[in-house]
Amino acid sequence: MILILDVLLHLAIWLLLAPLLPGIINKVKAWVAGRRGPPVLQLYYDLAKLWRKGVVLSTLASPGFVIGPAVGWIAVLGAAMLLPLGPAGAVLSFRGDVLLMVYLLALARFCTAWAAMETGSAFEGMGAAREVSYAVLTEAAIIAAVLSLSVQSGSTSLVAMLAPAAGAGAMLLAAGLFTVLLAENCRVPFDDPNTHLELTMIHEVMVLDHSGPPLAVILHGAAIKLLFFAVLLTEAVLPLGKLSPAAAAGVLLAGVMVVTVGVGLVESLLARLAFRRVPLLLTTAFLLCLFALLMAWKGGAE
Amino acid sequence: MTPGALLLLAAGALMAGIVSGPWFARSWLTFTLAGAIAGLAAALSVLFGAADWEWWSAFSLGGELVHLRLDGVSALFLALLCVVGGAGAVYAREYWSEETYPASAPRGHLWWSGLVLSMGLVLVSSNGLHFLIGWELFTVCAYFLITLDRQRREVRAAGWLYLVASHTGTVFLFAFFSTLAARTGSWDLHPMQDQAALTPLFWLALAGFGVKAGVFPLHVWLPSAHANAPSHVSAILSGVAIKMGIYGIVRFSGWLPVPAEAGGVVIGIGATSALLGIAFAFAQNDLKRLLAYCSVENIGVILIGVGGALLAVTNGDAPWGRLALAGALLHVWNHGAFKALLFFGAGSVLHATGTREMSKLGGLWRTMPWTTGLFLLGSVAVSSLPPLNGFVSEWLVYLGLFDAATSKGTAAWAAMPAAIMLAMAGAIAMASFAKAGAMIFLGSPRTRAAEQAHECGNFMRAPMLALAGVCVVIGLAPILIWPLVTRAVGSWRAVEIAPEVPAPLITLGLVHVALTILVATAAAWLWRKAHATDLRRSPTWDCGYAMPAVRMQYTSASFAGIVSGWFRWVLQPERKLRRPHGNFPAEAIRLERVPETVLERIIGPVSVAIMRGSTSVRRLQHGRLQFYILYLVVGLIGLGVLVMLGGAQ
Repeated sequence: MILILDVLLHLAIWLLLAPLLPGIINKVKAWVAGRRGPPVLQLYYDLAKLWRKGVVLSTLASPGFVIGPAVGWIAVLGAAMLLPLGPAGAVLSFRGDVLLMVYLLALARFCTAWAAMETGSAFEGMGAAREVSYAVLTEAAIIAAVLSLSVQSGSTSLVAMLAPAAGAGAMLLAAGLFTVLLAENCRVPFDDPNTHLELTMIHEVMVLDHSGPPLAVILHGAAIKLLFFAVLLTEAVLPLGKLSPAAAAGVLLAGVMVVTVGVGLVESLLARLAFRRVPLLLTTAFLLCLFALLMAWKGGAE
Repeated sequence: MTPGALLLLAAGALMAGIVSGPWFARSWLTFTLAGAIAGLAAALSVLFGAADWEWWSAFSLGGELVHLRLDGVSALFLALLCVVGGAGAVYAREYWSEETYPASAPRGHLWWSGLVLSMGLVLVSSNGLHFLIGWELFTVCAYFLITLDRQRREVRAAGWLYLVASHTGTVFLFAFFSTLAARTGSWDLHPMQDQAALTPLFWLALAGFGVKAGVFPLHVWLPSAHANAPSHVSAILSGVAIKMGIYGIVRFSGWLPVPAEAGGVVIGIGATSALLGIAFAFAQNDLKRLLAYCSVENIGVILIGVGGALLAVTNGDAPWGRLALAGALLHVWNHGAFKALLFFGAGSVLHATGTREMSKLGGLWRTMPWTTGLFLLGSVAVSSLPPLNGFVSEWLVYLGLFDAATSKGTAAWAAMPAAIMLAMAGAIAMASFAKAGAMIFLGSPRTRAAEQAHECGNFMRAPMLALAGVCVVIGLAPILIWPLVTRAVGSWRAVEIAPEVPAPLITLGLVHVALTILVATAAAWLWRKAHATDLRRSPTWDCGYAMPAVRMQYTSASFAGIVSGWFRWVLQPERKLRRPHGNFPAEAIRLERVPETVLERIIGPVSVAIMRGSTSVRRLQHGRLQFYILYLVVGLIGLGVLVMLGGAQ
């Protein structure tokens, strides 16, 4: 019974709160630009609208075009379920769950790329190619980051890994993971969620042909992924395990807010990078995580 | 029945298959399947039983008494051999049938049974001489299978390359086994970890078996042989034959004392093979070459696990070594299952369209739904994505590496880079199979051949379904195969380990089951919802482009462009570029092809140089007697000088 309640609580948090983040980011951007901007709840309205809309399918698309987004959504949600939510813990925790989390994100990526390729469009092919290619570097960065947490805490289970502070390399890890967050969620400077130039996009261009409920699922999944990375970043850097439950919840909430506002500020103040520079920035993120790993390793040896 | 009786039955059935193969296709299939089932039963009875099977006979072959042994390690490989051998025989019944290939199909039957039998012989023989005989027989059988379609030039070239490369490896193995026999005084093979003098022999074994396994710089024979062989042959080559190299490395690293550096070196070779192998795979445009290079990657993953185990041996038998080895051995099985499935899928595509070029395919899902679904399943498994079997074994390898890293000893130096390279290789593998699946099955057909494709028949579909079943079962219930793997790990260095199941493995299986149910539910739900709305079909929107043409689709080379740009230093792509000029450009071309870089840029020039050197030495032999007499005199004087100098000291 308690288990069911626990699962429901986690589901509610992830499913209901996630669409708030893009709204906050847009509010921050509007505030910096001196506009009023769309309401914070805009994504909820959009999702509700899309859910009621009809679907236009490409004549080329196989059933995978609709099934892909569903599988990707479940995969992202599954990864979120493994991530502890501060004092609420994770739905499920076992040794090595961190690797399952990383590979669930990869499964979601595979499904998005597959669904994009269904349409036989060059634009979507381009987006899928970029997505899977940049993922090579982000995945290396993520593994280096979780390896550093693992070495730091001596555990391979997320709950134990994220409880203590990241130690000496915390700032490096924060910078690396923040860059990974921007890349994985297709924010500026890697991608511009607002642009209408398909040639310059990654994620948005992959979903050009989606419409109606499948598009709603994709957008909701993207929001969960953003929240996921914000929570991961906060918990990796701050020692939530040492605080009282109420304080930990508060700190987690504040941390996620800081990350979200940070994304909005980056988006307002930076321009999108030229595509040939993207790998450089991603390599920098990887190196930051790698140095965090080395510091965690050296720190333990002394 | 005892394993011995079952093995005898298997050998007898396969012999009958060899004899009947060229004439009676149907009885050949029956015999081969019977042999495979009997062999599988023997392997499973050893794996589930407690005792190894060992048999000394009074019968001698080549002056050595026949000594057979089936323990956990060899039984694990034997089981895989029987599964893929049986599945391939069924597949060949339709794919390489006597109606289509009246000349080569009967030959194929003979060599197929011969290949399965000789690989089985390698696995059970416990005598160096017989091991070599079996090894040589297996190499030759594989050669004749690769060159079944020998009317084609490139097939003959691929077969020749395979034969030369294999024999280069065999030279090392001859050196290995004969030195071993000379040092121990017997050809008999058994655990001899206590004889420290044998330590350097490990390097000979690693080189010899490494060629067969196709580790990175020694993989040169692998892509062309896999691409040009008939697909059922590619399946057994990739699924089982290259694993014989892994078997050799695992076997003799378990039975012989290993040098202290072995763990680091094997992990390094494995990580390099994984990353560079998959980089080459991603850049390929030929489907079967892509699969072949992906085998190089998977061999790398397996070697990372084996290297982790060797590293643990020198670190006081740390438990993470067993975990990594379990992952590696499970990956041997998993790769055998999903790679055979993918090669069968590739064969089915080739059968239906007559081309392996991904840029000439597309849109096959309409005409080939079964192949599409099964290939997709294989792709998810090979990209090691949950919830299928590929993830389970890579997860075990990762756990071993992470534990080695958290131990903070010297082992971490090898484990941490290996884990990161494994992650990158995994990401590129996912990209490669997203590309392969999408280019072949999605979008619209790029050529007429792709438009007129047809689904494969039951004989080809059944083995694919069976292998897909293996992938799903190991993925959803890894607990079922865990006892087999621990049995093999336990008999690796003949140290007993507790056969308890690690708790996370049960959890992982349950998570996979839950994930499958959720995915199916969500997919069905979204499918219903989409169809309940006002659903319309229209051409791909593509930002309002009015006339999307087939050739505007993204191609395989452009999909891989970004990553192959990063790996340009090793891929060395050949480019042909003609830019558009003027106000009314007539034509522009950009072609990019990744050659067999290691073969064409390194091994080729080196062999040419060696041939040139040999030719110039040949000038000494010209048939003029007076010069020969001069050689003799000079030689005698030289010897005399040598003796005099030697005597003076």
